[in-house]
Amino acid sequence: MTVSRRDLLKSAGAGVGATVLGAAPGLAARGEVAPREDAMALLYDATACIGCRACVVACADVNGLEPDTALTGGMYSMPLDLNARTKNIIMLWRDEEKEQYSFVKHQCMHCLDPACVSGCPFHALTKEEWGVVKWHGDLCIGCRYCEIACPYDVPRFEWESFNPKIIKCELCDHRIAKGLEPGCTDVCPTAAVVFGRRDELKTAGEKRIEENPGKYYQDHLYGTDDLGGTQVFYLATVPFANLGLPERKESAAHYGSKVHTTLYKWMLLPLTVFGLMATFIRRRWKIFEEEALREQQETGRPPQL
Amino acid sequence: MSAHKHQVWKRAVPVWDSSLNNSIFWFFLALALVSSVLAGIRLFGGLAFTGMSDDFAWGVWKTFNVMTLTALGSAGLAVGVAAWVFNQHQFHVIMRTSLVISLLFYGTGLISLGIDVGRPWNFYNSLLPWRWNYHSSLFEVAICMSAYFSIFLLYENLPAFVERRYVVAPTETRRKISQFTHKYRAAYPFMIAAAYLLPIMHQSSLGSLMVIAGPKVHPLWQTQMLPAYYLLQAFICGFAAVVIILMISSMGWRRPLDMPVLSDLGKFMAWAAIAFVAIRWTQVLVTGKAGMAFQPDSMALLFHTEMLLNLIPALILLKPRVRRTPRSLFVGSVVIAIGGMLYRFSPTTLAYRPGSSSLYFPSDRELLLALGAVGWTVVLFMIIVKYFAVLPAPLSEWYRAINHAKEKLPELRIDEHGAATDY
Repeated sequence: MTVSRRDLLKSAGAGVGATVLGAAPGLAARGEVAPREDAMALLYDATACIGCRACVVACADVNGLEPDTALTGGMYSMPLDLNARTKNIIMLWRDEEKEQYSFVKHQCMHCLDPACVSGCPFHALTKEEWGVVKWHGDLCIGCRYCEIACPYDVPRFEWESFNPKIIKCELCDHRIAKGLEPGCTDVCPTAAVVFGRRDELKTAGEKRIEENPGKYYQDHLYGTDDLGGTQVFYLATVPFANLGLPERKESAAHYGSKVHTTLYKWMLLPLTVFGLMATFIRRRWKIFEEEALREQQETGRPPQL
Repeated sequence: MSAHKHQVWKRAVPVWDSSLNNSIFWFFLALALVSSVLAGIRLFGGLAFTGMSDDFAWGVWKTFNVMTLTALGSAGLAVGVAAWVFNQHQFHVIMRTSLVISLLFYGTGLISLGIDVGRPWNFYNSLLPWRWNYHSSLFEVAICMSAYFSIFLLYENLPAFVERRYVVAPTETRRKISQFTHKYRAAYPFMIAAAYLLPIMHQSSLGSLMVIAGPKVHPLWQTQMLPAYYLLQAFICGFAAVVIILMISSMGWRRPLDMPVLSDLGKFMAWAAIAFVAIRWTQVLVTGKAGMAFQPDSMALLFHTEMLLNLIPALILLKPRVRRTPRSLFVGSVVIAIGGMLYRFSPTTLAYRPGSSSLYFPSDRELLLALGAVGWTVVLFMIIVKYFAVLPAPLSEWYRAINHAKEKLPELRIDEHGAATDY
């Protein structure tokens, strides 16, 4: 087979061109993912939260998590942050100078386009029924890439365990299946956190903003379109970024995978690179073999590769 | 030491007269063995003894042994692409050394990865294509790296090992080896094209890994260009690793240096390093991050350290006279390798800023395990180059080795050139 340099460049150009063209629309869009029909959600209103942490205890209770008593010498549960025994936590943010404060509830956000699901090499994290992001122990290799990927720093790893699991809120889907609501919303005394269908809670949240103009930060219901949209909504009076809720629109999954998916679209670019290299190498290989043979005949030394 | 005409590297020859009974060998063997015992213990317990946490979920086993050291392990890629695709014939004589470097760094890197993951028993999923997540760059790295090591690196390294077997084998085995060699050579161009494609893919994907972390990686490092930079550094560090290891080996085992070959490696390394600095500075300027590079903080300092450790030696090595001087080529390559390794390490660790203020430093046992992998690399390298024709040498060394072999084993059926006499 003889291929001229001109042909080669042409085919290479076509390959690269097609890759770029094929990927262009993907790069332009924000890669929004629509919520599932059956998506369930939480709505947390920081202005209604009294920081009683009843939801933290209830969460541990219904999920069979051992109490985290490290800080209290075994007296009572007092986790400082999400950890391998804590899937849900209430934290306090305070600015002494501006005399501002706000409680914030942290648990898995069940993103519409989750970074952990996008990054997990073997689908050990998937978007399941009700839009719950669920962990599957039979697929997980324990690489902890989900912890690197999650923009909310939610997944936790059992560092102590021989058989470590990824610990995170799964929206009490075992309770939803029984027609119950999650542990946290079940016990909240002020209804600061409520459970329901995502579309209904979105309407409810936006109604609160409408009825109280100027009360909430930027009159915005966090989670509608933030980081591609989430299944947990937040209302607060202080900037969301202070509460550990990044104020970006593009999902981390999309930001993190757009170049990768472009480069590997239909494997066009890798195959082009392979084809080019193989053509060059084959041509040189023939010359190399001939030279090796000639040298062997002239010198008597066996050729080396 | 200047390169005389008769000292030109012509063939790979075993360092058969080297002794392994020296302090360097025993030191690295001890390090390797201690770390292996620790690795064994680790498999029966959790990872709590490490410095890792939920903030810094990745420690040195991934960020150093895999993401940094496989850049040095890209020697086989860098030299191979230069020789076969860019037609640099002079590099064929150092190909075996480059490939052994790749084999050892990738091998130890993959073992480190096996110790690092919390649920290694689920690795079998990588053999079940319906469980693959094609969108994950970590999946790409995992599959591509293991395939590269277990198929292509072993294939590429085969000649040096088969050659030794051929010399001592009985006639019937020699016939079989010859038949096998015929098939091996028929597949060669396609196999090595794939052997260059795979590391190009996974070395760039190593960079893609940190893109998904978004602002957790300092803006001076967080860019969609990460895969391109990681790939470029694989070539830079790959060339540097070959220069450094060839020079240390030649000095240590008293072999002459072929400076024209080594300085050509230096030329490729220098231009690649200049390209890296130019592209990265352009990207920093275009994306409006130049201000961050001149803030009086540790991140700006780290940025300039990485860039200058690449740029200054590269500019100096552009002068042919300088890079033909062994000392300057060696020092320049070491500095560039440090700069490149620092760059490959930063986005995962030094410039990684997760939500909380906690910092990561590996625990003693964790660090010992990471260094133990390097220990194995050194130990195995010393053993391999003693028993197999890997390190390049002038022809006189080849004939010395043949004479020695024939004296020691008179029944060997080889002639004075080392060619088989019976088949």
